[in-house]
Amino acid sequence: MTDRETFLNHLAERSGRPRHLLGDNPLVPVNDLPETTLSGKSQDELLRIARKNSEAVNAHFQTTTKAKLPGVLDTFIKDKITDNADEPYQANGHDRLLLPTSDLFADFGLESWRDGLEDPTPTFWRPGAGRQANIDAAEHAGAAIAFADYMLAESGSITTATTPGQGRAFHFLPVHYLAIVRKSCILPRSRQAMDRYDKAMKAGELKTSNINIITGPSNTGDIEMVLVVGVHGPLDMTYLVVEDM
Amino acid sequence: MKTATMIRNSDHDFLTRLKESEEDTFAQKAVAKAQDAQWIKREAARQELGNWEDWRSLGEQIRQHTVRYLPDYLEEFSDNVEKNGGRVFFAQTDVEARDFIVNLAREKQVRNVVKSKSMVTSEIGVDKALLEIEGMNLLETDLAEFILQQDDWDEPTHLVFPAIHKDRDQVREVFMKKLGYEGDNDPQHLARFARKVMRERFLRNEMSITGCNFAVADNGMINLDTNEGNADLCMAIPKIQVVCMGMERIVPGMREAETIDNMLARSAVGQKITTYCTFTSRQVDGEADGPEEFYVVIIDNGRSNALGTDFEPILQCIRCASCLNVCPVYRHIGGHGYGSIYPGPVGSVLSPVLQGNYDDFPDLPYACSLCAACTATCPVKIPLHKLLIKHRQIEMDDLHQSKLVDDAVMRVVGLGTGHSSLFRTALGMDHAMLTPLQKKRPETAENLYSNGRHLEWMPFVFGGWTKVRDLPDPPAHSKNFRTWFREHKREQAMQGGMKATVPQAPRDPRASGSVGEPVLKADGYYQDGRPITEVQAHAQGQDKVSERVGARAASLSQEHVPEGSHIDGNDIADAASRQEGTQQHD
Repeated sequence: MTDRETFLNHLAERSGRPRHLLGDNPLVPVNDLPETTLSGKSQDELLRIARKNSEAVNAHFQTTTKAKLPGVLDTFIKDKITDNADEPYQANGHDRLLLPTSDLFADFGLESWRDGLEDPTPTFWRPGAGRQANIDAAEHAGAAIAFADYMLAESGSITTATTPGQGRAFHFLPVHYLAIVRKSCILPRSRQAMDRYDKAMKAGELKTSNINIITGPSNTGDIEMVLVVGVHGPLDMTYLVVEDM
Repeated sequence: MKTATMIRNSDHDFLTRLKESEEDTFAQKAVAKAQDAQWIKREAARQELGNWEDWRSLGEQIRQHTVRYLPDYLEEFSDNVEKNGGRVFFAQTDVEARDFIVNLAREKQVRNVVKSKSMVTSEIGVDKALLEIEGMNLLETDLAEFILQQDDWDEPTHLVFPAIHKDRDQVREVFMKKLGYEGDNDPQHLARFARKVMRERFLRNEMSITGCNFAVADNGMINLDTNEGNADLCMAIPKIQVVCMGMERIVPGMREAETIDNMLARSAVGQKITTYCTFTSRQVDGEADGPEEFYVVIIDNGRSNALGTDFEPILQCIRCASCLNVCPVYRHIGGHGYGSIYPGPVGSVLSPVLQGNYDDFPDLPYACSLCAACTATCPVKIPLHKLLIKHRQIEMDDLHQSKLVDDAVMRVVGLGTGHSSLFRTALGMDHAMLTPLQKKRPETAENLYSNGRHLEWMPFVFGGWTKVRDLPDPPAHSKNFRTWFREHKREQAMQGGMKATVPQAPRDPRASGSVGEPVLKADGYYQDGRPITEVQAHAQGQDKVSERVGARAASLSQEHVPEGSHIDGNDIADAASRQEGTQQHD
């Protein structure tokens, strides 16, 4: 391989510009469109925009309250797992429910709901359980219920940073997927989310190797440009916004 | 040092490739359908975002700035990758990059490798090299790339839709033959079958190779945009991840990455953002999945040939392929016509730059009508059509690639069109001289204004035209435009009771030596530097007609036009992009 200094000096030489001029020439954006687009909206307005744009990307958009949250989740589990026969294209069966290991169950008042789940008994993404065990749990999950950090109104997306209790494959291997998000965490655009993550990572408050912006179920147009929903990732995606949080 | 030795994907010459493309009517229809569908989606997405031209300015600024300070940003990025526990390797050539990855796979005794779609991995030929390792299983996981791999590594024909040239029946046939598929040709069923096949492979995967949409300099993460989720599975399951990155695919921070992601998705597929937009690096302690070993291979492979030259803007490219999606030439010759893994306008500019010569792709700069639609649609404002002209200039002026006969003919043409007396003589004779070559066919709407006659063969450089299309027969002198126009002006003058004037091309007073003659510029007529009306110019032209003929007037081409006052493709592109930005496509 080429030595780094040799490589970079070669670039400087070809361009006719010396290295290390960036310090005096930082990027000063020509406009502030990423911040100002969709700015100044109330949470109610953002919720309305988010709903419209989520539906446009084939995501199921639901709202509920903290009190009704367990009931809505029970219905989701029944629809996606209990009443849903195994499908032939799924390699390894999909009869399990996958949940994260997270303090957020307490915040959302879901601890007793979680502890009382029986049909099916949930499997968890467990810190310390290791790569293989967690990937197996995700692969056999008919459905996963995740906690999202933010929702983006403009694109109908949810965002999530990988944690020891909610890994990367958590969001990709299960067949069906639901993300819970607070209404107060609906942001206008990806700009605001990136600013928050960037700040938290640089301040050392967030230690993560991976940030996902997920916008609807996985899809492709690779065969004759016909939209096929559900390729590698979940076949469908539900966003559940808790309005009084 | 040889670079980009593997980007050529056809052994056939340009004209043979064109002939093959011409015969592939399915691919032509598929490309036309894709272009039309993407036009509607792309423009609607840009329209909905609003202020598209200002977004383009921002996109251009971010990319220009990054390319300008590329060594500094690469230094910052590589420091941060290492800080995160990853490793960075710099490769000046494709061979260097490929050998590094193959040696790594050998060293780690890897037998199962998955890949997510990446142009730069095609550029370094890593697939075929890895498959030479005994017992190696390699899987392309993007659905289109998976189809191409199963079809004995058929070549991709589009940057975003690599299998655009295959229909559902062809895909079904490949799956039946190679994978034992038994279902129908419904794209949903085909995709679900592929999901199942690939999922099993994903789970025993030891190493992944991904591309990199953008590297984030200030935190060492890489940013990947996909719709299928295959790249995310590539980054979640295996213990080893190798990221292949063209050295220019870097942005200062998360904010700039986010901005460009938004512009990329809108330009590539008319989405606001791709289904999965991921920022990633080496696994952090405590996390269960994600790569424990994270390698980034930063690849030059001829990109530095562009630095400090007129071609530097091509490094701004974000690979959205919208230039392919608006290109009339791409519409007709498809991806295979270009013979490079990088097709379309961007490919025609980039391929010779990566190689640093015109040996493999001398014809690509000419696969362009200079309509400038590519320049108008480019989200980061790369002046693509101007760069193609620049390639032509280098090929002709610096490398003298024109044939001597063609060169001589063009000199004669230049002489003839450069002197009004010669030009008029030629106009008077062209019809008569070409008569022996004329062919006649019944008059139709297509040839209504060409006497129903046409030419199917012309000598010298003109043969380039008649090889691919008929040349309408020039009208007889008594029917040509200049004669018609003169008659028209006379009739107008008679009706208006004015003196009939014969229009003449006004010329530069300095060239003819006569002071005070009218001069035609892009924005109207001038005399002694002051604007005058067309009628005044023509009246004065008539008074001096004998003097003009006697003085062997200079041509319009020699006229002095101040820089910036002429209309060129860029103005057309600007106008078109302004129009695009305001057009409704619903």
